[in-house]
Amino acid sequence: MLRYVLGRLPSALGLLAAASLLIFWLMRLVPGDPVDTLAGPDASPEARAAIRAELGLDQPFLAQYVDWLGDVLTFDLGRSFVVGGQVSDLLAAGAVNTVVLTLTALALAVTLALVTAVTAVVAQRRWLDALLAGINTVALAMPTFATGLLLVLVFAVVVPVLPSGGTPPDGFVARPDIALQYLLLPATCLAVPVWAGLSRFLTEALRSQLRQPYVTTARAVGVRHRRIVLTQALPNALPSAVTVLGIQFGTLLGGAVLVEAIFTWPGLGRLIEEAISGRDYPVVQVLLLLSVAIFVVTQLVTDVVHAWLDPRIRIGGAA
Amino acid sequence: MRAALATPKGVAGLVLVGGIVLLGVLGPLLAPYSPTQQVPGANLVGPSAAHWLGTDDVNRDVLSRTLAGIRVDLLVVFLAVPAGAALGMLVGLVTSWWKVTDVLTQRVFDLVLAFPTLILAIALAAVIGPGTTTIVLVVVAIEVPVFGRLVRTSLRTVREMPYVEAAQVVGARPWWLLRRHVLPNSLEPLTVQLALSMSVAVFIEGAMSFLGIGVKAPDPSLGSLLKDGTRLMYDAPFLSLGPLLVVVLLVLGLLLLAQSLSEAHRD
Repeated sequence: MLRYVLGRLPSALGLLAAASLLIFWLMRLVPGDPVDTLAGPDASPEARAAIRAELGLDQPFLAQYVDWLGDVLTFDLGRSFVVGGQVSDLLAAGAVNTVVLTLTALALAVTLALVTAVTAVVAQRRWLDALLAGINTVALAMPTFATGLLLVLVFAVVVPVLPSGGTPPDGFVARPDIALQYLLLPATCLAVPVWAGLSRFLTEALRSQLRQPYVTTARAVGVRHRRIVLTQALPNALPSAVTVLGIQFGTLLGGAVLVEAIFTWPGLGRLIEEAISGRDYPVVQVLLLLSVAIFVVTQLVTDVVHAWLDPRIRIGGAA
Repeated sequence: MRAALATPKGVAGLVLVGGIVLLGVLGPLLAPYSPTQQVPGANLVGPSAAHWLGTDDVNRDVLSRTLAGIRVDLLVVFLAVPAGAALGMLVGLVTSWWKVTDVLTQRVFDLVLAFPTLILAIALAAVIGPGTTTIVLVVVAIEVPVFGRLVRTSLRTVREMPYVEAAQVVGARPWWLLRRHVLPNSLEPLTVQLALSMSVAVFIEGAMSFLGIGVKAPDPSLGSLLKDGTRLMYDAPFLSLGPLLVVVLLVLGLLLLAQSLSEAHRD
């Protein structure tokens, strides 16, 4: 198992290194000079040069890159060009909101997907299958911004029962009931496409498990359908479902940018949007790198969980 | 493929996509106003005979803007996606012929696919600035690795086939093999992916214009209309309903086409 994980590390690290170089280079291509933003229009050439030197922008490209990489690796993320605060503080504040939002959405999507897929396969009703397949296709066809807009329209404008945006004023811990009201719409919005993809895949995987010879054997000895689904088909379908969830998780980050914009949720998605329009290099670079790092780690975790659930990989050490 | 499109799903998909394409193409003839024209006295009026979808806060007719907005999505769906697909297939085919270029290209594809789509879009928009061209470039950049991968997989599968080895033994040229064996065998998964990618392209246009890094004001697109709808939600909740319906029906049509094609492929 450990060897299996270690075997995946070099390519993951290589991908991260290449991504960091690409990101750093991309940010140097962005038109406009951050010195302009900082120094203001009336700054003297000497003042501008001083700012440039202070930020290290007068160094050659590779020197700046190595310098930045060293800082990132030692978690010295520097100061924001525009807001002025420490990048790490900005990140920490946004990360809390985004993590709460995405984890709630993920929990919602996984629970609902398990419930709908298992119910459909256990019940074996034609009308239920058709209904769920229909809802599923429509959910897949709803872009995140459309879902969000519709949710706000229905639950905050036409029938004003939930807040249309923002984070709970008392935080997530002090008043969990109020926090839940604020979380419900954005988390649902983020969960819809994940639920749709996962439940569609899981239903299909469960059905294909039910066609396996071992299920025929179980039926022959008189095991009930519900029991076969829950104790035989589901455990066998889970490993590949985890892989699908891993892929879905990647789209969750992109979705968070939209959901945070619609629901004015001050998380990492809003931060990257604002940082790019303000040409705040230090913030943008770290956020882009973070998104790739999350992708790489998700892939690793997905592989590990997949291996852990699938004894053929866990014991064999190779797949 | 013809059989796939004759299924209920296929027909529904064709009708939805075909209908919206027609609306977009005939848009300038059907639209009662120009998309940027400001109608005197019609500020945020609700749906009526004169303005079927109402007017926005600067007196523009939303129906006319929606019809014009569809054209942006048609450009992205029917130009950017096929262009990205063609380029991706070309790159995939050429580079997978030699080991070194193959490994290198796959690593580059890995790198592009490691960025969440929308975050890549934001980064590219920061470098080249917002606009319709940016949307097209983002779609192409995302589709090249997708189709490059796809064509490489079919290429490798086909190359292992005994009949291809036989053809190579009797001296078939690579180009002939491609045309005669590789492309026909990849056709089915390619059409499915094409339909899926087209639905993703509608998402990307919408998301980018919604965030303000897509089409430039005052030009409309389906995404920018939804952005306006969100901004004016409390004053005129009806504004976004028309464009919302068009976006969802367009994606739904493309998804139904993809589903009917992939189900026919599986049987």
